[in-house]
Amino acid sequence: MGIFTKFRKKSPWILHYNTGGCNGCDIEILAALAPKYDIERFGMLNRGNPKQSDILLVTGPVTKRCRDVLRRLYLEMPEPKVVVAMGACAYGGGIFRDFYHVENGVDNIIPVDVWIPGCAPRVEAVIDGMVEAVKIWEKKSKEKEYMRNHSEELLEQLGARNDD
Amino acid sequence: MELYVTLSIVLPWIVAFVIYLVKNDFVTNVLSLLMLPVLAYFAWEIYFSGNLPMLVDTPHWVDYAITIYDFGLLGYFLYQGIKNKSMLVSALAVLQLVLLIIVILMIEHSNTANIYIDKLTAFMYMIVAIVGVPIAIFATKYMEYDEKGKHSFVAILIWFLGVMNFAVSVNNIEWFFALFETTTLASYVLIRFRMDDQAVKNAILALWMNQIGGVAILFALLTFLKTSGLYHFTDLLNTDSKMLSLTALGFLSLSALVKGAQMPFHKWLLGAMVAPTPVSAILHSATMVKIAPYLLLRISPVIKGTLLAKLLIITTGFVFVAAAVIALTQENFKKILAYSTISLLGLMMLAAVVGTPIAITASLLLILFHAFAKGFLFIEAGVLEKVFHVKYIKQMRRLIERAPLTLMFIFFGFLNMTFVPFGTFIGKWIMIEEASGFLSHGSYVLLILYVGAGSAFLSVLYMKVLGISVRKSHGIERVRALPLPLKFNFVSVWYYGWLLFLTVFIAPFIATQIVPIAQELSGQIPNIHADNLSLVINTSTLYFWQILGALVILSLIHALPFFVHFKNVDTARPYNCGEAFPRHIETYNFVCISKYENYLIAFSIALFVMVLVLGGGLL
Amino acid sequence: MKFETLMLLLTLFAPIIGGFVYGVERIVKARMQSRVGPPLMQPFYDFFKLMDKRPLMVHSLHAVMGIMYFIACWFSLLVLFLGNDLLVAVFFHVIAVLALTIGAFSVRSPYSVIGAMRELMHMISYEPLMVLMVVGFYQVVGSFNLKDILNYDGIPLLQLPVVFMAFVLAIPMMLHKSPFDVAEAHQEIIGGPEIEYSGPFYEAVYTGKWIEYVYVFFFVFLFGGSHYWLGALLVLFVFLFVNALDNATARLDFRKMVKFSWFVLIPVSAFNIIFLALWR
Repeated sequence: MGIFTKFRKKSPWILHYNTGGCNGCDIEILAALAPKYDIERFGMLNRGNPKQSDILLVTGPVTKRCRDVLRRLYLEMPEPKVVVAMGACAYGGGIFRDFYHVENGVDNIIPVDVWIPGCAPRVEAVIDGMVEAVKIWEKKSKEKEYMRNHSEELLEQLGARNDD
Repeated sequence: MELYVTLSIVLPWIVAFVIYLVKNDFVTNVLSLLMLPVLAYFAWEIYFSGNLPMLVDTPHWVDYAITIYDFGLLGYFLYQGIKNKSMLVSALAVLQLVLLIIVILMIEHSNTANIYIDKLTAFMYMIVAIVGVPIAIFATKYMEYDEKGKHSFVAILIWFLGVMNFAVSVNNIEWFFALFETTTLASYVLIRFRMDDQAVKNAILALWMNQIGGVAILFALLTFLKTSGLYHFTDLLNTDSKMLSLTALGFLSLSALVKGAQMPFHKWLLGAMVAPTPVSAILHSATMVKIAPYLLLRISPVIKGTLLAKLLIITTGFVFVAAAVIALTQENFKKILAYSTISLLGLMMLAAVVGTPIAITASLLLILFHAFAKGFLFIEAGVLEKVFHVKYIKQMRRLIERAPLTLMFIFFGFLNMTFVPFGTFIGKWIMIEEASGFLSHGSYVLLILYVGAGSAFLSVLYMKVLGISVRKSHGIERVRALPLPLKFNFVSVWYYGWLLFLTVFIAPFIATQIVPIAQELSGQIPNIHADNLSLVINTSTLYFWQILGALVILSLIHALPFFVHFKNVDTARPYNCGEAFPRHIETYNFVCISKYENYLIAFSIALFVMVLVLGGGLL
Repeated sequence: MKFETLMLLLTLFAPIIGGFVYGVERIVKARMQSRVGPPLMQPFYDFFKLMDKRPLMVHSLHAVMGIMYFIACWFSLLVLFLGNDLLVAVFFHVIAVLALTIGAFSVRSPYSVIGAMRELMHMISYEPLMVLMVVGFYQVVGSFNLKDILNYDGIPLLQLPVVFMAFVLAIPMMLHKSPFDVAEAHQEIIGGPEIEYSGPFYEAVYTGKWIEYVYVFFFVFLFGGSHYWLGALLVLFVFLFVNALDNATARLDFRKMVKFSWFVLIPVSAFNIIFLALWR
């Protein structure tokens, strides 16, 4: 808890990733960015870049294709960081639950801090979720965070071999 | 004094002959090492002797000897033309023979001395000694890596230095022709040194292109003899410039443009890269191409302000930009360096032609710093070729992991070619400052545009090449430096140290060393002086804190990454959309430019013709 | 207050000034889109937040280059304010570009490398124009000295109207704004050269961008000569114009940017300078 910690809530930067949902949630997120709701007045920016983001906003049920990508994006984000899972699919798969290609929700892959319910959630719900996320984020430290159920070796395997 | 001059010219010839005859490793190494202090000492003594400029009389038999040597040389060219079935070479040799006979019939005896030593000559001696000789030292080690004929190669290099020393000290244009053609011969022998098909083909190309320069000198000589009967540089400079035939000066400039590998004639310098790398190093830095700005500097007082000068500004400035643009499309590292030489030679000649004292200072600065930087870069290209087996910029990928030290040297060489506190930048800066003062003619606005645009393109070129080689995998932090041979390191550190030293003390260096030369050449005092370590030009100042600050920032940029590692910082993988396997990364290859290359060359030919026809008043 | 002291203070506080400019810009842009926009201090909140993040880097070279970019930017501003030659300041800016591009080239992310190449294209586009503009100032004032320009009685804008217009159209290239934001195209290559920086290292790059605001808008201010109110008005006008342009236009191809600069902006500026030289 440094002197800069209280500035955290003023500028949460968001990385949004869709793991194979129906895009309904994504449209709601766009609505949140647009003039009517304008979440930039809270200092929130959609960076699209894990290196500079604080909040990972995940939508969709996590297809098998997306699994490793999601893990890597999570690992590339510097701590402190918060994961927000949005929509019914992100919570246990939604209508895609138990499909052959689906991992049944975000928390099977990475630790989730905030759930936003709804299919698709209203924009007010998104903003509410973000506020909750920022509250949790303020309490986090910048120590390295480890993912549940995954050892360091596995994390190394997820990375690419670096031959160009 | 006269002894030193004679020794500077003759000693390299003798040493080269000894090396060629003895063919012993020990002798070659020791003699080439010895040449460095000896030639530097001679140049030092001549430069600081205080009684420059001076004329040295030569005995009559030297005159006859040189005439006979001329015929021998042209006969050799003719023989090579016939032997290699090159019509062009033989035809040009025959043409030169005919012209030479006419010249000898027309020439009248003159009492003017044939050797003329002034500060410019001593300056060129200095460059030959400090920049040229280390290349010969480098070659003694370089040729031990699977090359044949080490001793004769080193011998030719050292002889070449002697030829260059001779060429910059002659006063008689007929002699100058002989030495001009001797440098052609030296480059011909060096380029075809490996004797494979490509080498011989490129050597022939270099031969006939440079012979065009020889023909131009002979035409100039003929015109001079016809109009005024003068054929010594000093006589030409002392007469009223209105009396001189612009046609002759136009022909002389043409020969300079050919020697300086300007656009339509640039192919020979590119062809030189098939030879061992020290050849390129010596052609580009100390000798050969530097004759071109030297010649224009010699005649700049008489062509200053004429239509010829303005057209030459347009031509050379165009080459400065066009060569930089074409260099962007090249793949071969040595070719990139060659194009940037062509480009910067254009700038040097441009500055020489503008002819005001400050412009001449800029030209001299560019000659000196370009020689150092290009010698340095080609040495490193040689190291890359022999130790790391890298020739193309594609193979330079991730060079930082394999050859950090060499890459650091290349980085420094590139920085020297464009960035702020270094000599080449100061040359460009002075040119823009000077040209802004007299924008009355369209060609001068064009000049500023040329300098600004060309330097932007060259920066892009260097950053692109560096960018490819600094790419580094994540995870590799500490790199192992491969031990390099002692001689390679010695030569690299020699250049590095000189460049660093000259850059820190650049203001007093320019004010005390370069300005007197410019003053002597142009006859006026350039308004440049050093305020302690700050450089003052007209009303503008380059403060020492600016020089030092830029130098520190650039040193950090080019050297720090090799030594500093953040220990407590975790590493993350580069962002790749979360995909496991990184995509294959390429940089722009600027193919879209290469289709305009022929247009650029055609345009430069048009400019060449314009220089001759309009500027020289040929029609 | 002495001129040098003022300029030194201005240089020292340049990151703060630039930060406020950026904050105002975000509000102005939001209002143009009929949004509320972030608070004025938003850039500084971002700054402090980034300070509090865990440092992560790809490798040391890359991280060093980010910091060098910031230092070189700041130093080029110092040279602009305290040196007496505008031309040198223009060339000092290239060092900052060098640090940024070398850093961007040194990582194996395709976005970063593409961004670096496009950054070089940006440099080709605006660098000759800057040189021409400075030469234009020399034509008007008779000196490259900053003090002489700030004490010049006339109005440089009236003698260099075309150069001014060309420079205003080149500002989007220097500040990476639409329609010429190809190097930093957020929707396409996610910030280009700056993509791989995170935490405190990104902070250096982020602050370097603020300094560039001061650097660029100071050149606009110079067009007012000694009429500082005119200079301030020009800065205001150009600021609003550039933001309106940023909001109203889509991104162009980098080829179009280079062509626009080389076939439109540079020739017209050159003509302005030639005519100025002839009529003077």
